[in-house]
Amino acid sequence: MRLSPRRLAVYCVAFLFAILVNFAVPRLMPGSPVDSMIAQLGPRATPAAIEAIRARFGAIEKPVLEQFVDYVVGLAHFDLGVSVKYYPQTVTEVLGRALGWTAFLVVTAIVFSLCIGVSLGAIAAWRRGGRFDTIITPFSVVMIAVPPVIIALATLFFFGVTLRLLPVGYAYDPNLDPGLNFTFFGSVFLHAVMPVLTLSPYLIGEFQTTMRSSMISVLGEDYVTMGRAKGLTETAVMFSYAARNAMLPVMTNVALMLGAVFGGSIVTEIVFNYPGLGLTLYTASVARDYPMIQGQLLLMTLATLGANLLVDIIYGIVDPRVRESAA
Amino acid sequence: MSEALLEVRDLSVDYLLDKGSFQAVRNVSFDIRKGELFGLAGESGCGKSTIAFAITRLSKPPAWVTGGEILLEGRDLLKLSETELQKVRWRHVGMVFQSAMNSLNPLMRVEAQFHDVLHRHLGSTRAQSRVRAEEMFKLVGIPVVRLDDYPHQFSGGMRQRIVIAICLALKPRLIIMDEPTTALDVVVQREILEQVIDLQRDQGFSVLFITHDLHLMAQLCHRIGIMLKGELVEVGDVKQISRAPLHDYTRKLWSAIPQLPASAHRMGAVE
Amino acid sequence: MSSSFTLFWRQKKALAGLVIILSLCLMALFAPLIAPGDPSARVGRSHQAPTVEHYFGTTKMGRDVYSQFVWGARPSLAVGFATGLAITALGTVVGLVAGYFGGRTDATLDLLTNAVLVIPNIPLLILLASFAGTVGPWAIMAIIALTSWPWGARMTRSQTLALRNREFIVAARMVGEPGWRIIFVEILPNLAPLIGINIVGSIIYAIVAQTTLEYLGFGDPLSVTWGTMLYNAQNSSAIILRAWWDIGAPAAGIALTGLGLALINFTFDEIANPQLRSGPALSRWLRLNRLRRRELGAAQ
Repeated sequence: MRLSPRRLAVYCVAFLFAILVNFAVPRLMPGSPVDSMIAQLGPRATPAAIEAIRARFGAIEKPVLEQFVDYVVGLAHFDLGVSVKYYPQTVTEVLGRALGWTAFLVVTAIVFSLCIGVSLGAIAAWRRGGRFDTIITPFSVVMIAVPPVIIALATLFFFGVTLRLLPVGYAYDPNLDPGLNFTFFGSVFLHAVMPVLTLSPYLIGEFQTTMRSSMISVLGEDYVTMGRAKGLTETAVMFSYAARNAMLPVMTNVALMLGAVFGGSIVTEIVFNYPGLGLTLYTASVARDYPMIQGQLLLMTLATLGANLLVDIIYGIVDPRVRESAA
Repeated sequence: MSEALLEVRDLSVDYLLDKGSFQAVRNVSFDIRKGELFGLAGESGCGKSTIAFAITRLSKPPAWVTGGEILLEGRDLLKLSETELQKVRWRHVGMVFQSAMNSLNPLMRVEAQFHDVLHRHLGSTRAQSRVRAEEMFKLVGIPVVRLDDYPHQFSGGMRQRIVIAICLALKPRLIIMDEPTTALDVVVQREILEQVIDLQRDQGFSVLFITHDLHLMAQLCHRIGIMLKGELVEVGDVKQISRAPLHDYTRKLWSAIPQLPASAHRMGAVE
Repeated sequence: MSSSFTLFWRQKKALAGLVIILSLCLMALFAPLIAPGDPSARVGRSHQAPTVEHYFGTTKMGRDVYSQFVWGARPSLAVGFATGLAITALGTVVGLVAGYFGGRTDATLDLLTNAVLVIPNIPLLILLASFAGTVGPWAIMAIIALTSWPWGARMTRSQTLALRNREFIVAARMVGEPGWRIIFVEILPNLAPLIGINIVGSIIYAIVAQTTLEYLGFGDPLSVTWGTMLYNAQNSSAIILRAWWDIGAPAAGIALTGLGLALINFTFDEIANPQLRSGPALSRWLRLNRLRRRELGAAQ
């Protein structure tokens, strides 16, 4: 993936698409989401709030195009509407809190899995056909196929309930006050272990497989042979000549998998009661808190796009050949 | 007569197939003397490149060395451990590959590609490597400022020259050149080869020159070996090979080169 | 093509995978025979551990887990396979059209593919599912298929582009073969291994997505599928109550399916990517190399 006008166009279209879906779906679906939301609010509903909900979801007498413009303008002001379940908090408020936790989880999981997966893949390719390769590689393929749901439930059961080794829910010990101290960080760490371990198998499997394939290709290249001909140590050739070049396609892979990682994190958060975007989305969908659900989609899309952009930039820095063509 | 630098004795290399194997190189023996330019000629698939890679044990699948000895100043390279062999590689035996397009690591600056090998064999510091690299660049005629560039920023001919520069940086005793200029156009080919000849005269290293271009070889080499289907059919002085070839095949190879009527008399004369 | 078949059968992994999947399918098919009766009937006490009477124990509501497992395999597998095929079909068509016709068609389709690819699937699925209310398995299939085709489209497109410029295709076009014929007769067979990977990968994804949606409660609570079994188990606090069989049975079913498919996919990958293939020649070479290195290293 290279950063170019074309890539940016893709991102813009994706975001536009998400906005469109958010706008269109409630107006097209059967049933009456507006009525159900108003009913949920019950006595707390002020006339202004009811009007706002009506306007947001299209139960008013305005031309569709105008409604769309209003909606987009609202978005530009970070107005994602007011939550129905957590009334009167705005969607932005609720999501803002949750975003941090999900980002922490996802980034930790990706970095952790990247380190392990890439190392395993490089070694498997270097010692191709040996014991390591024949065991690890099929194992990785299997890890990709087992849904995070299962892993989450299994981990929770074994480590949380049966062995009582790790805490079973939330992001930190509820008795602690968040603060910049060791105890708090320690608690956060402990509570993050199982969720990260749940997200990791899929990612490790994916990175291992991609790195191995990429490495096998690279090992056939002339510059690797030259590296060996230079009399450099095996480790030096494996790292500086082979692995460095093999990592490039893996990075592209990271970008492509971000959508899947978010999906996995949703289920993980639900199982472990982790207060991130996923859990918020779930409680919102159970409560039919439509403004919240919509806000979630936009935020997650934006997060994925942002992460993709970041990977593009990093790729441009790492591969000097790309820098030239962009210039 | 100078003594032998490299002695290849009964070298055999197989290509491993799904069932059984195919003998790509059969009991090949030849010597390369100190300061000598030795050429190995033959058509595609005769096994000459296979030999080149086998010498420093860089054979890639399916090539598998099944027997023989390769003595570099008395030491059998085929019996050394990997670590010891690494010390011999590049320091004593350098290699220039066929397509320099891909011989350089695309993610490393050229200067770094000098440094890693200089540091490995001589323990050079960054600064020392830089000095040496600049010397070598001057030798092959590339502006010194370009040491900080990446390989993709150079043309094919320049990349080949960079590889030769890196090759000579450690002053090896033997350089193996496997079709070093086949991928380049004739003009660049000429320049590079002339440079190699100059350097060789200057520094006195031996060269194992592998190509299918017999005419080119005749202009450059002292002795030539002719290969046919994995076997060495004739080895001799360049004058003898060109004027009075002993083997049928050698004669066929020569006659395959279209000759201008005037030079028919001077066939194979060394310039 | 026939060499691909022999390769397949020689790989034990693929055979193992196939055995697993076929066993599960047969089990689902013969459900009326091996688990007679209504799986939703309450036949026992609440949360009983596995016994001779109830092989997999009972749920909180007293339903036989074994029966539910066997019957639940039907929609889980059927919808999973059907959705996987739908995703592959969509992706392949888009990829083929984009790759073959090039130009503006390609540019538009490529843009669309990449855009849909970037949007995270599960949140989108949840959005659609929550607005639609509870949905039956076939609606789930439609939703999943419509959001997951880009993966396959990308792969197919790049492969088609590569093939399009090969000599035999260029020759066919120059001779005047009609476009659709070239696509079906010349290009499609060459895409076979890729489509194989695509199908298996899509089925894996479909089963994961379906399970996730049902686990979250978007499935039809009255139907019996592995996903809804998980949902019900979760809601009856099976984990906290240590009723491992309640969660374990559907989890094992899903994990086994994933395992079997992954093993098959591994082989498809090697067929499609000859470089990855460790044929007998390469394996021999690698083995001999390892031996020799050990000998020589030990010599000093």
